[in-house]
Amino acid sequence: MRTPPSTTVALETRSLGIASSTSLDRISLQAVDWTVDTGELWVVAGAQGAGKTALLETLAGLIPAAAGEVRVFGRRVDASGEDDAGLRETRRRLGLVFDGSGRLFSALSVAENILLPWCYHQNRSHDEALGEFEPLIRHLQLESILSRKPTSLSRSWSRRVALARSLVLEPDLLLLDNPLAGLDAVHLRWWRGFLAEALAGHPLLGGEPLTIVATADAVRPYVGLDPRFALVASGHWRIITDIEAVLAATGEEGFRDLTEPRP
Amino acid sequence: MEATPPPLKNAGSGEDSDGGFGWLGALLGEWRSLTRLGAFILITLATAARRHRDNSEVMRPQVLGEIHRCGVRLLPIISFLGVILGVVFVGQTVSLMEQFGAGNFTGTFIVTVFLREMVPMIAGLLVLARVGTASVVELGTARALGEVEALEALGIDPIHYLVVPRVIGFAVAVVSLSAYLILIALGSGYLFAYARGLKASPIEFFTQIAGAMSALDFPLWVLKTLLFGALTGWVICYQGLARPMTLEEVGPATTRTVAVCVVGCLMIDALFITVYLLL
Repeated sequence: MRTPPSTTVALETRSLGIASSTSLDRISLQAVDWTVDTGELWVVAGAQGAGKTALLETLAGLIPAAAGEVRVFGRRVDASGEDDAGLRETRRRLGLVFDGSGRLFSALSVAENILLPWCYHQNRSHDEALGEFEPLIRHLQLESILSRKPTSLSRSWSRRVALARSLVLEPDLLLLDNPLAGLDAVHLRWWRGFLAEALAGHPLLGGEPLTIVATADAVRPYVGLDPRFALVASGHWRIITDIEAVLAATGEEGFRDLTEPRP
Repeated sequence: MEATPPPLKNAGSGEDSDGGFGWLGALLGEWRSLTRLGAFILITLATAARRHRDNSEVMRPQVLGEIHRCGVRLLPIISFLGVILGVVFVGQTVSLMEQFGAGNFTGTFIVTVFLREMVPMIAGLLVLARVGTASVVELGTARALGEVEALEALGIDPIHYLVVPRVIGFAVAVVSLSAYLILIALGSGYLFAYARGLKASPIEFFTQIAGAMSALDFPLWVLKTLLFGALTGWVICYQGLARPMTLEEVGPATTRTVAVCVVGCLMIDALFITVYLLL
């Protein structure tokens, strides 16, 4: 069972500067002041190269912040000022699903990919883990591909395996990098259903509503899920208070234009 | 308390830059690489010491898998190589020394040249060629595809999960394969020499070789082969993991690994020759 979040603020950034994923010397996004409450779904929209992935990697503590600070459930995720055990525990409450094929471990099977984090942290065998997470695996419809290698999977299925790998650690905050990009109608419907039940609190996901931050290059698929929106464009961060007004004024394509980096 | 490892993302960036100072810059670059490799080795040792009991359900199969891959799977080729070396080197040496009336020195010669010098180097190079190069490609590709960041995102220490088992696997493999190679080569060498007229019985032959060894030979030999294997494992992991990598850089990293391992093993060899001379 997941530990219930001890604070209503899941994620907080103050004057956060985001370095580029490819070159830490380059700032891709600056002055991110943001508060995410528990149980919220946030969609961070932006064009490719706007810094969405770097933002998530910074929130997860994978790349250092260029400026400012990140707090997850009240604790900083960078090393300064926190003890290591607390830092690790904080990072474990946070699940990150990478974009594309989810960066699965190519040397391992699907089952090993999914269960490795839990086996490693709980010091349990693969067979024990398989028994423990069989319902979750079935719920994510992955039972028929468990023995396959990630390279034999389509991008949509790989992404779902990456989601499962992240969920076995029962995170309180889920960071999804462009999860709905390039999905066919069946997978898109499944992901929307998953997001809805995760936000409502599903027994297989610990019972408590998850807090979710997803990046996107198209916002329309999220609208029915009642999310809050933010926009990254031209190196700046903007919270959109009324997405319907923006979409009504510009249309989906217009919103995309809005997110294009300016020359 | 365990220290959380720093993200590997930028470790070692800027390596190989000569700063525009020609050979002096290149030398400085090599020195920087060496210090980074040294730091990497220390981090690995600290991680192994601090976390040797952690996550055993995952780490034990990882370590055993590496030992199997680096050691057990190479037994056939090491057996073949042992027979060939036994005939070509040991057998011929024993026969020739007998013919020249220098049979009393056979043990000393075989211990000094074959056991101390040739075998560890041959076993180390074979493990490097057969497993090491593949490991650099595997690790480099994982690094280039972002799998290492995925491990970090899941709270799995890449040094603990990827590096420590490989270093242990390579070290154990080189020690074990060297010992096995010696047994096979001496056995086949004796048979060859016997077929060519050697009078000594097997017991006399092996007693002569054992008699040529000093008390310190065994621990020093184990230490030397252990260092050959561990250094190979460290260099492989350092070249494959410790800095940002693109898929195009995996090939050059592999050739660099071979060069660094050979130079490193020769340096260890030189160090041990000094130790042997002092003793």
